[in-house]
Amino acid sequence: MSCEIKEKDRVGTVNPIFTCQPAGAQFVSIGIKDCIGIVHGGQGCVMFVRLIFSQHFKESFELASSSLHEDGAVFGACGRVEEAVDVLLSRYPDVKVVPIITTCSTEIIGDDVDGVIKKLNEGLLKEKFADREVHLIAMHTPSFVGSMISGYDVAVRDVVRHFAKRENPNDKINLLTGWVNPGDVKELKHLLAEMDIEANVLFEIESFDSPVLPDGSAVSHGNTTIEDLVDTGNALATFALNRYEGNKAAEFLQKKFEIPAVVGPTPIGIRNTDSFLQNLRKVTGKPIPQSLVRERGVALDALADLTHMFLAEKRVAIYGAPDLVIGLAEFCLDLEMKPVLLLLGDDNSKYPNDPRVVALKENVDYDMEIVMNADFWELENRIKNEGLELDLILGHSKGRFISIDYNIPMLRVGFPTYDRAGLYRYPTVGYGGAIWLAEQMANTLFADMEHKKNKEWLLNVW
Amino acid sequence: MPHHEFESSKVIPERKQHVVIKGKGETIADALPQGYLNTIPGSISERGCAYCGAKHVIGSPMKDVIHISHGPVGCTYDTWQTKRYISDNDNFQLKYTYATDVKEKHIVFGAEKLLKQNIIEAFKAFPQIKRMSIYQTCATALIGDDINAIAEEVMEEMPEVDIFVCNSPGFAGPSQSGGHHKINIAWINQKVGNLEPEITSDYVINYVGEYNIQGDQEVMVDYFKRMGIQVLSTFTGNGSYDGLRAMHRAHLNVLECARSAEYICNELRVRYGIPRLDIDGFGFEPLADSLRKIGMFFGIEERAKAIIDVEVARWKPELDWYKERLMGKKVCLWPGGSKLWHWAHVIEQEMGLKVVSVYTKFGHQGDMEKGIARCGEGTLAIDDPNELEGLEALEMLKPDIILTGKRPGEVAKKVRVPYLNAHAYHNGPYKGFEGWVRFARDIYNAIYSPIHQLSGIDISKDEVPTDSGFLTRQMLSDGNLSEEVRNSETLRQYTGNYDSVSHLREKEYPTFEPKAAAGA
Repeated sequence: MSCEIKEKDRVGTVNPIFTCQPAGAQFVSIGIKDCIGIVHGGQGCVMFVRLIFSQHFKESFELASSSLHEDGAVFGACGRVEEAVDVLLSRYPDVKVVPIITTCSTEIIGDDVDGVIKKLNEGLLKEKFADREVHLIAMHTPSFVGSMISGYDVAVRDVVRHFAKRENPNDKINLLTGWVNPGDVKELKHLLAEMDIEANVLFEIESFDSPVLPDGSAVSHGNTTIEDLVDTGNALATFALNRYEGNKAAEFLQKKFEIPAVVGPTPIGIRNTDSFLQNLRKVTGKPIPQSLVRERGVALDALADLTHMFLAEKRVAIYGAPDLVIGLAEFCLDLEMKPVLLLLGDDNSKYPNDPRVVALKENVDYDMEIVMNADFWELENRIKNEGLELDLILGHSKGRFISIDYNIPMLRVGFPTYDRAGLYRYPTVGYGGAIWLAEQMANTLFADMEHKKNKEWLLNVW
Repeated sequence: MPHHEFESSKVIPERKQHVVIKGKGETIADALPQGYLNTIPGSISERGCAYCGAKHVIGSPMKDVIHISHGPVGCTYDTWQTKRYISDNDNFQLKYTYATDVKEKHIVFGAEKLLKQNIIEAFKAFPQIKRMSIYQTCATALIGDDINAIAEEVMEEMPEVDIFVCNSPGFAGPSQSGGHHKINIAWINQKVGNLEPEITSDYVINYVGEYNIQGDQEVMVDYFKRMGIQVLSTFTGNGSYDGLRAMHRAHLNVLECARSAEYICNELRVRYGIPRLDIDGFGFEPLADSLRKIGMFFGIEERAKAIIDVEVARWKPELDWYKERLMGKKVCLWPGGSKLWHWAHVIEQEMGLKVVSVYTKFGHQGDMEKGIARCGEGTLAIDDPNELEGLEALEMLKPDIILTGKRPGEVAKKVRVPYLNAHAYHNGPYKGFEGWVRFARDIYNAIYSPIHQLSGIDISKDEVPTDSGFLTRQMLSDGNLSEEVRNSETLRQYTGNYDSVSHLREKEYPTFEPKAAAGA
């Protein structure tokens, strides 16, 4: 009986769980108001990332490419960045922030993006756009390092490093949400409002869920402003909810401005949400109000209906973003479930020493495996060839065929979830997220019981 | 020249050469935009890369192959599960994709050893699959890995496997079209002619430039089989690797998407003397003409005629039900490449629609020639459109529907134009007689969606009727129809099944007497 953490022992990837770094930087870019990122590389690096954002959110987001072609790959393509910045600014008068996001190709050919930005700042921006506030931000996100997760982490840091100033320290906190959904941001802001705490939210992506309006004017875009970003330097503290998606920025603010960083825990489940609120209370001195005591109670009431009756002992595999996977595993344990396999889709060397992973290793009283640098074959092969039995899979849509082919019910969670309607609208964090997760897991199991006629009569009297 | 300059593109004046409005009496000699030139950086073009053109569009629909991309995981992940090229072997090619997972150390020290390990691992994990395609990416092209050499080495060590190598990195050309070309040529150079097929018919074709989107290929192959034609291979939807090695033995190449696959047809003609016949599976007339042409080529025209008669009788009343209701509705026909000319005239003639604009993301001037020739006066034609131009065009044209990709479809939704997926389809297949009715049905459902009708109402200003709890599509579409049409006893809505393809896989076909025996 033990919990073991190990690396996948194959070198290759059969069905990847993650995409590469530039996708993470692009997710950051669309979260900022008046911002369009330019991805410096081949056109596919943008086209497909825009496509997957549109698959997940059922919305379109603006991102540009420097359109690297053959000549650029041979002779260097810095000129393409210069042209792209000029064209973009000329045609989008509201754009103020332009991240320049590198890719594997342009990192390998060694394009000096920082040099280009310096040149543009001293040249083009002064000459042609003198009356405009424009921020060009280099983001180095070679695809052969890390994953979309580290790309997100790097990009948040780069944005904060560019803007943060300590001018008038205030009582706000910085809330670095990590790579989450509009439903999560809404839930987090709700918790802060109940606590009467103001925050610079990185990133305000509730507006990703945008309407169709009679005049056709709606656009999906994030709403974190330059002022919010500058203000991160004035904050009382930084809460980086996800250890791997925002920590770098929190560390930067701590080092540069001595703003205390509270890293984690990802507020998934009751216990982690409790910790988040306790940390907020400690840092701000604001009490936890009765309204949240009540909300927590509503959540516990809902969970009590489900745990020992339906969820207990259920064997679960979880894959996706590390903070999400770990948070879900913790919550599942509280719900008496058995997460037996956790798949983390990249090779971050920090995972084995993550205190949450260490706690799992020390306390789990059944066999649990945590696989780093994992692909979907780590899951499928265990089911197909090694006798792994599962009651439930938690993860994003790219793993859908494992659920379909092996008849294992699956709750879509994380990014992307394009094969289910509207999931981005619901939270996985906070007490609201705890309710949503537990009830969706239960309903997924119920539908499966009926589909397979496996004690489907049980629900007659529940 | 009737070039059109978008307000949003005034600062990039070269764009004017890429946009035309076809004027009165003008032909393609007057109205032809420039095409397939380098993309303007930062313009927010919709184009993809040459890797996706090779691997994603053409390579991956091959159904019995391990498709492995040599590079970091992103190229593989991003192109995986974003299309609907199904197959009759439980969609192996949709479900599984492989990346060699190149990391920083491999960039520095080379990734050939990693590639070899990957190949061996992949064959070990999927022992029933003996065929592999390896796709180069930007990263491994730039570090100069010799993928061909590794593939040769493995094939020597594992004689039961066969490996194809496609060197088409993302930066190789202005768009995905560069990749189409590269994989066409790579396949004929490396693989065609190195396997001999069993010939079972007097009439043998390759079906080329067909990707089995939602079952298109299976519908078309059904007609071919009913004519007693042996389809040696399909390049590439639902196609098998070994079938495609035997392309040199066909009597005729039947070409569907000339944009993506004319190259291999032209090479097959030069190298093996196999003629090329361009056909069209979209639309009753073009499809009937196509089947007739194939029939004529083989001297079995009566077999084609028999099929056409049956199919037209079965489906024409349903197509016409929709045509009556789609008459005059304005369409922006904004696909990727060849559909702009496959669809332009025939949706006008057979569905009564009015094409107000065509565009192409990666088409060449030849595609625009064909498209514009088939369009009416006043049609706006755009090469390599970008985000702002697309919005400006929608504002100017106010179409009733747009046929385009998933993401641009989301842009259209915001300006209250319903969209149909031109690449992956909504509820396809759209080829074949039944498929064409399904297409008309999908267009009708989109245009007359009661929900879409609601989106134009501003409840803060407009007088909203309070006496109706619902509207049906027919309440919206039939108001202006004549009594005769509305009460027609011959016209009817689509009566096929949700899944119109799977039953074809169990179907038995008539056997025809061989020519030699018949003559004896």
